[in-house]
Amino acid sequence: MSRQVPQAASWKFADIIAIPTVRDRWEKVRRYFFLRESTYDMTHRCNIRCDGCYYFNGEKQFALENGDPAAWRELMVAEKERGITFAVLAGAEPSLVPELCRICADTIPLGAIATNGLKPLPPEIDYRIHISVWGNDASSKAVRKADDMLKRQMANYHNDPRAVFVYTFTSQNIDEAQEVTEELAKGGQKITFNMFSAPEGYNGPLRHTPESLAKTGAMMTQLLTQYPEAVLFSHYNVVAHTHRLGLHALYSCSYPRMNPSANVGLGKSFRQYRTDLQWDRAAACCVPDTDCADCRHYAAGSAVVTARMYRHASNPETFSAWLDYVDTYLAVWVQGYEKSPNLCDHAVTPPSDGQ
Amino acid sequence: MNTTLDQTILRIAEIIINELKLEDVTPETFDADLDLVDEVGIDSMDLATIALVIRDEFGVRIDEDDYPKLTTLRIIGGYIAGKLQGDE
Repeated sequence: MSRQVPQAASWKFADIIAIPTVRDRWEKVRRYFFLRESTYDMTHRCNIRCDGCYYFNGEKQFALENGDPAAWRELMVAEKERGITFAVLAGAEPSLVPELCRICADTIPLGAIATNGLKPLPPEIDYRIHISVWGNDASSKAVRKADDMLKRQMANYHNDPRAVFVYTFTSQNIDEAQEVTEELAKGGQKITFNMFSAPEGYNGPLRHTPESLAKTGAMMTQLLTQYPEAVLFSHYNVVAHTHRLGLHALYSCSYPRMNPSANVGLGKSFRQYRTDLQWDRAAACCVPDTDCADCRHYAAGSAVVTARMYRHASNPETFSAWLDYVDTYLAVWVQGYEKSPNLCDHAVTPPSDGQ
Repeated sequence: MNTTLDQTILRIAEIIINELKLEDVTPETFDADLDLVDEVGIDSMDLATIALVIRDEFGVRIDEDDYPKLTTLRIIGGYIAGKLQGDE
């Protein structure tokens, strides 16, 4: 349940950031406003095949694979020259091409890699590593057809400061998050939460319902309270990602796929490269082939919610909730960035554009 | 010469210089027709910050959908003037 904040409309931004705790957090996060991301499919191979996988949906899986290190180096240099400061290496399984990941990290020093965690990435690749978790090992066996996933993932990234485990809540694995989070917390790992967002045309059982969204929100809040050191999340993350409305309806997605403007921001700079090193503006977003109406993806929210700073600067409470969200996103994505305690200890209603 | 518009542009230049900590430029030397995104390197988060300071200073709300259009000091100045006239 989120709290409706009275809208006095009298708060000046200068007054909001004059509050010492708010000012400190604002100064902390704004240093990272230089981040400009693009994402790269590294290979069309994967060592497992998961139900509802984003990569093996749509046309991108059929792109030719360019494994030429020189071509990748040339691409990364060109990306850096056009202002990209953050590389997200994703589909299908980047750990299968560590030499290409290394080229990316050598050229663009900040970045993240999305992996299933079954094959460890070399330690010299100093990117954040997002290890996908889809439930306990029984669920993973059923959905991902792999044995002992969590055990193997934790062994591969034991004491690895790059690692963040990303638990994707489906409508089917909500209760299991308790045991998985406990195990990760005991192992000294960091964990954040993602929401299963249906690929286009997907009508399987993992899709969320209004009931599962509410139940997921309650579980996230419980885990955030129970494991504040291990869980990288905030109360506003819970609101933004389990709302009955998806991210686009709430915040108006700023990725090119949904944003016609190419003048500034993500609409100008973001590209999603396929394995053939080509990109298509009409399909460019962080998780292509997601049904936009159902998108609550953590990667999307990191950019979309952050971009809507203006509408959150209406009062100290709402702005603090936004700062918690941005602080969380930076801790999840930027290697070496440490999350601070959340400023806002309760849910806040997302502001509308007209506020 | 539109004195009010010029004063507004000067003030916006000052805001941008302060917020972005720009060096080697003053409000007086800031080219009002310079493309803020392509030539100054301002991004959407910078624009949002500047928009909030403008909101404080001029009492003008800048619609999020309008950010991409606000590419120069002169355009921002005209935008503010238009909003203020619309409020009258």
